[in-house]
Amino acid sequence: MAVRPGTVHDHRVTETSVILALVVVTALAFDFTNGFHDTANAMATSIATKALRPRTAVALSGVLNLIGAFLSVEVALTVTNAVVRIQDKTGAPKAELLAHGGSGLLLIILAGLVGGIVWNLLTWLVGLPSSSSHALFGGLIGATVAGLGWAGVNWNGDGSKLDGVVGKVLLPAVLSPVIAALVAAAGTWLIFKATNGIAARFTERGFKWGQIGSASLVSLAHGTNDAQKTMGVITLALIASGDWSDTGNIPLWVKVACAVAIALGTYLGGWRIIRTLGKGLTDINPPQGTAAQSGAAAVILASSQLGFALSTTHVATGSVLGSGLGRPGAGVRWAVAGRMVAAWLITLPAAGLIGAAMWWTGHLIGGLGGAVVVFLLLVAASGGMWWRSRSHRVDASNVNDDWSSPAPTASPSEPLAAPAAPSALVAASPAAASAGVASSLAASSDPARVAAAN
Amino acid sequence: MHNLGFALDGAWRVLLAGLILGAGLPALFALGIRSLAWGAGEASVDASGVTPGTRRPWATALGYLLFAIVVGGVLLGLTFIVATGFGNKLSFEHVYPTIVPK
Repeated sequence: MAVRPGTVHDHRVTETSVILALVVVTALAFDFTNGFHDTANAMATSIATKALRPRTAVALSGVLNLIGAFLSVEVALTVTNAVVRIQDKTGAPKAELLAHGGSGLLLIILAGLVGGIVWNLLTWLVGLPSSSSHALFGGLIGATVAGLGWAGVNWNGDGSKLDGVVGKVLLPAVLSPVIAALVAAAGTWLIFKATNGIAARFTERGFKWGQIGSASLVSLAHGTNDAQKTMGVITLALIASGDWSDTGNIPLWVKVACAVAIALGTYLGGWRIIRTLGKGLTDINPPQGTAAQSGAAAVILASSQLGFALSTTHVATGSVLGSGLGRPGAGVRWAVAGRMVAAWLITLPAAGLIGAAMWWTGHLIGGLGGAVVVFLLLVAASGGMWWRSRSHRVDASNVNDDWSSPAPTASPSEPLAAPAAPSALVAASPAAASAGVASSLAASSDPARVAAAN
Repeated sequence: MHNLGFALDGAWRVLLAGLILGAGLPALFALGIRSLAWGAGEASVDASGVTPGTRRPWATALGYLLFAIVVGGVLLGLTFIVATGFGNKLSFEHVYPTIVPK
């Protein structure tokens, strides 16, 4: 940990340092889940079509994420400004949050990160691709509402640009899968038209490289975009505690740690999600895989060029679905697609509720003890979900099994119902209705999935 | 509801760029594969046995030209990723892309 500049004279100093350490570890853990949750976005199609062997695919994606993370020299310190008001425009924390060595802000960040991680793990357990950025934003929003009230949330921005929860999270979430699906459907249709009747020895090799190339672009873009978010959050925590003051740069060790965490997570591979995206949504062949990944890469890069940032997960899922729509005679398993959409709808409120609950827990206990309890709750929840995942393992060996064979993922009804039920209690939340729909969808989806697979 | 306006405005641009680059380039790639296959000449099988097809070098050349266009699109994507990472952006002011500071 960095040494505090100057002498500080408060017994809270050591206490803050421990809380800060917990925040940094939790942020890196989030970055790690971000990595393995999103391996599928780039590599699910290449793995499903056997263009790459599963281990090779995750290794390639991991290396490209590592390179991508180092490519982002630009400072992403103001990442939380899109949804909450805990920083000013330069990236410095709001002055009123810096009392007691910044512990107020640190608790909000810690609780928000825990909300994001727990939701990422839950969706991984049931094999659903949901947006890691939305989970992080949801957790931060929940913790901020708990800590600062509703006014602490940037709902709509100031009207000058696309901003706020509505502009940066909700609208892109609705639009991006549709855009990606249209592009991939058009690409698939054109490819099938163009290669109709061509001998397999020409198409096989061509589309193998088409898939590898486009999937690599998606991985690289993911590394530059997503690792930055955690770097920004950790640096914000360092500034809050007084261990860093330069809002124009990010400490080198933060950059290295985040890059390594997201690359390791990617290499671990979220096999459950890879399986759902590669085998569950539709049956993908190499031309479709090429169309899906090229479409995803083009939409992701074009949207960030145009300042309309989209979730990689939503784009990748939309384009896989589009490739199923565009191929003559192919079918989409709509029950699986429905479960995904349900997961997207409840990601923000569910992560928010966990974030808020964590903030209240930490706040009621107070100080260092509160932060430690929150951290231990995270460890317990993560360990529990990991233990549960052991009973239905999905890994490199069975990721490509037929979708209709006995489901290797855990029953989705149990884990999903847990966060969905409390969210129904928040009557004021507009998402409560959708959460209810989602839990019933999740509960009914297991037989539906088997039926759809036939 | 200003956000809805901004979002729809951004969405159609992304859709247009996505269709050109994300569906157009793969289609060119597929046409390239078709040209290569055509250039190599399909063998035909009938009662008299296997007859090798005629080679068409210009079709092979066309195939590689199409691949080159696709590679150009991929390089554009790579340039974009690296340039934005270093605080620059791509400008299409002069039609061909140039790197300018953000």
